[in-house]
Amino acid sequence: MIDVNKLLEILLYQKDDPILFNSAFFFYFFAAFLLIYLAVGRSKEGRVAVFTIFSLYFFYKACGYYVGLVIISAIVDFNLSRWIYYTEDKRKQKSLLILSIILNLGLLFFFKYTDFFIGIVNDLKLANFQPLKLLLPIGISFYTFENLSYTIDVYRREIKPVDSFMDYLFFLSFFPKLMMGPIVRAADFIPQISQPYVLDKDDIGKGMYLIIAGLFKKVVISDFINQNFVQYIFDDPSKHTGLECLLGVYGYALIIYCDFSGYSDMALGIARWTGFKIPPNFDSPYQSSNITEFWRRWHISLSSWLRDYLYIPLGGNRKGKIRQYVNLLLTMLIGGFWHGASWNFIFWGAMHGGALAVDKVRLDWLKARGGGATGWVGTVMKVGGVIFTFHFVCFCWIFFKASTFQDAWALIHQVVYDFQPEVWLELYNGYTAVFWVMLLAFILHFLPGRMERYTEQGLSRLPVVASVVVMVVFIWLLVQVKSTQPMMPIYLQF
Amino acid sequence: MSGNNKSAYPFYIITGTLVCLVALSLIKNSFSINEFTTRPLDMLADVRKDAPSLPSEINDSTAYAGATQPGSIDTANGRNLDTAAIAAGTSIPDPDHLHNFTTYTGILNYHPPAGTDSTVTAGLEHFLVALDELKAKKRKKVRIAYFGDSMIEGDLITEDLRDSLQSIFGGQGVGFVPVTSVVAGFRTTITHTFSKDWKDYSYKQLPPSNVLLGISGHTFMPAGSSWIKYQPVKKRGLNKFEQVSVLYGPASAGNISINDKSYTLSGNQAVNKLSLRMDSARQVTIKWAGGTAAPLYGVSFEGDTGVYVDNFSFRGISGIELGKLSGRILHEMQTEHPYDLIVLHYGANVLWKPELTDYKWYGDPMKKVMDSLRNDIPNASFLVISTADKSYKKSGNYVTAPGVTALLKVQHDLAKMHGTAYWNLYAAMGGENSMIRWVQGDPVLANKDYTHFNRQGAAKVGALLYKAMMDEYMQLERQ
Repeated sequence: MIDVNKLLEILLYQKDDPILFNSAFFFYFFAAFLLIYLAVGRSKEGRVAVFTIFSLYFFYKACGYYVGLVIISAIVDFNLSRWIYYTEDKRKQKSLLILSIILNLGLLFFFKYTDFFIGIVNDLKLANFQPLKLLLPIGISFYTFENLSYTIDVYRREIKPVDSFMDYLFFLSFFPKLMMGPIVRAADFIPQISQPYVLDKDDIGKGMYLIIAGLFKKVVISDFINQNFVQYIFDDPSKHTGLECLLGVYGYALIIYCDFSGYSDMALGIARWTGFKIPPNFDSPYQSSNITEFWRRWHISLSSWLRDYLYIPLGGNRKGKIRQYVNLLLTMLIGGFWHGASWNFIFWGAMHGGALAVDKVRLDWLKARGGGATGWVGTVMKVGGVIFTFHFVCFCWIFFKASTFQDAWALIHQVVYDFQPEVWLELYNGYTAVFWVMLLAFILHFLPGRMERYTEQGLSRLPVVASVVVMVVFIWLLVQVKSTQPMMPIYLQF
Repeated sequence: MSGNNKSAYPFYIITGTLVCLVALSLIKNSFSINEFTTRPLDMLADVRKDAPSLPSEINDSTAYAGATQPGSIDTANGRNLDTAAIAAGTSIPDPDHLHNFTTYTGILNYHPPAGTDSTVTAGLEHFLVALDELKAKKRKKVRIAYFGDSMIEGDLITEDLRDSLQSIFGGQGVGFVPVTSVVAGFRTTITHTFSKDWKDYSYKQLPPSNVLLGISGHTFMPAGSSWIKYQPVKKRGLNKFEQVSVLYGPASAGNISINDKSYTLSGNQAVNKLSLRMDSARQVTIKWAGGTAAPLYGVSFEGDTGVYVDNFSFRGISGIELGKLSGRILHEMQTEHPYDLIVLHYGANVLWKPELTDYKWYGDPMKKVMDSLRNDIPNASFLVISTADKSYKKSGNYVTAPGVTALLKVQHDLAKMHGTAYWNLYAAMGGENSMIRWVQGDPVLANKDYTHFNRQGAAKVGALLYKAMMDEYMQLERQ
């Protein structure tokens, strides 16, 4: 009953079927990896070798021969940083750093942004180039930033370069963070390599919690809402009423968060089970009561990277108020562009940058006044702030998600001019399950952090057999959600 | 291993879970509680040997080869035997003897049943002759009424068909535009705004018995300060208004103003027309100015000569609703605003249950509708456009809904029965699973509901339809 050819085919790179943590393939991969990893667990060199081989295979499975790019960039950055560190000549250090930045960003630009700039040149009728239509090497945005932070840290003499090339390759290719981050700092990660592979019950509980929570966010919330509702709205906003569009935007806010943070959680959980602690990447961001706080809780590894390697080198807040606002705007503009090669992302980044600058003015004013309102006024302000911040973020998501500016404006137009609240019952009947899942997701998001800790502690006390039962039941449930017949879009009558 | 080091736990948990899941996959693990059946869990799905595939009901693997299949006489096992006798009595062969209708990407022209009035011509014949006369300047206009559902909303498909036809045969104008429209904002071939106080009677909310439904499926009653505003757009053939005709129902002393000039609507026909020439007007604003309220159908924008395509989209319908149009409206439209081709493009809302393959519930009432349409509009050609491909998710993968080929056959039989033309849009798109390629391809041509085309996809369908029409036209010219 097993088709050997199919089995062999599955082991190879499949363009249309990238490896995902929520796929059956990954389960087998992970089991095989854990077996061998455990077998060599006592030797550091053994663990590094096994982990690196599995990671490189994971890369290959995800993006074919682009795996070579990781190896090449590891070789280049490993050697350049050592060269930088062991050179006395300041000018030479600087030139080497610039070379490293040019090489890293050049590679990223070539793959990610060439077509965008070709498009601009063509649109301005300066020339007429054929777009390259390159496939983006998976993870390149993440490992480019990891390389940069490593080299810059070495240049700043904040860390000593690693002595073993294998350690560096291992850091760069570490498969849990490959596809969607988080962006890991070498300074946090590399010291953990030499520590023995020892896990306590908290590690087991926390890891299992993160893996289950991540899968739940990704499959039950994000994929479900997207496939059964939100994708229809964003596909063609002008064909839907304003109410549908607004709910579609709320839905998308959940999708982007659950998809991204769910994936990050799984990465953290898997890393934890293999003996590595990676700092959390999200901290219930929609609980934020202002935009500055939002960016402290959203994609933390990226925002802190941008702060340390872009905002601060630009001058941060050290060159006067105006310059600080400009720096914020510029940082977010570039941060937006990092997400993808389109004007939508740039616009999205600019809106967030602008909002951060405005919020900075407000915070400075509050500071001068000696603090904000307290008591019930403070509470009302805080709740209002959460609602306002959430809606501002949602408004920005419209531009992040819509495939064109026209689509984004069409959606806003529907919400403003064609709301049609009377269709709510018909909508509810058409997408009942979707709306309940959305409500559940919002409730879970606003639960206090201690609920999370209780669950982790509960899981950490389970014996192995019980853990297996929990996992089996949970995965069976996932399969039920994943393979339900998709709800077909309803095109509301009038 | 020391008691506190649990580094083997992840391996035990993952492997234990995996063993359980694989074991579950080896047995039938789907069960039913009440009416709910759980989905089977299969960890081996990707590596299992394929089950021998069942022969599909209608083999369309050759679709998109585009070529006619001269050797394939009678291979179409979907042929409708009830109508096999139709072609008898004419010397021209039944097109189904030349082409397999399930895979043929061109237009098939069927002969009217024996004993039909001689004014009824086969397939597209009347329309093609009319085009030829237009080209030879023997007639001034050729008009197409294109009926459809949400697939053609916002002038999708018709926009491209109109543009192509007008560029060859002439014509300036977007054709019929209703008084109000749910997709006015989406339509890019005219800028259309209106006041909210128009009363819209339609298939969904029928008018009182003394008011007839207009051909678009809507009739609009004005209120105190109702208005409509149309502006041309910057596109070829659509950038200025020439002839503007207000189409309205029975009226006695209803007052309107058009660009601030007063007119009185009167006439006791079911369809009356007020035509004006617009010279260099950048917009047309129609305001209701009181008097006895008169039902309005819409406004038509045309030039003096050429081809006109009127888009009659109505969201969510299957085509059966056209039966609610009265014979009187259709007759009088043919007098005031005559059509040479009636296109019927439906299917998306018939396929609401993807696995349903019995479409008798649709075929029977639709036959009655087509009988009366054919009867009420005797001197026009009819073209039935089949459903497009539609996919649905089956055990995790998108596939063509089984209902598609079943519905195609019903639509084909309707065409053949009534001696109309038939165009298999499903085959023209590329046949089985083509919708998946349209949704997932580069460029993206269809929406993620795996049903509706996006603007680019609709343009492609318009181009395919135009080409199919022109192939027939060339053939006529050669004869």
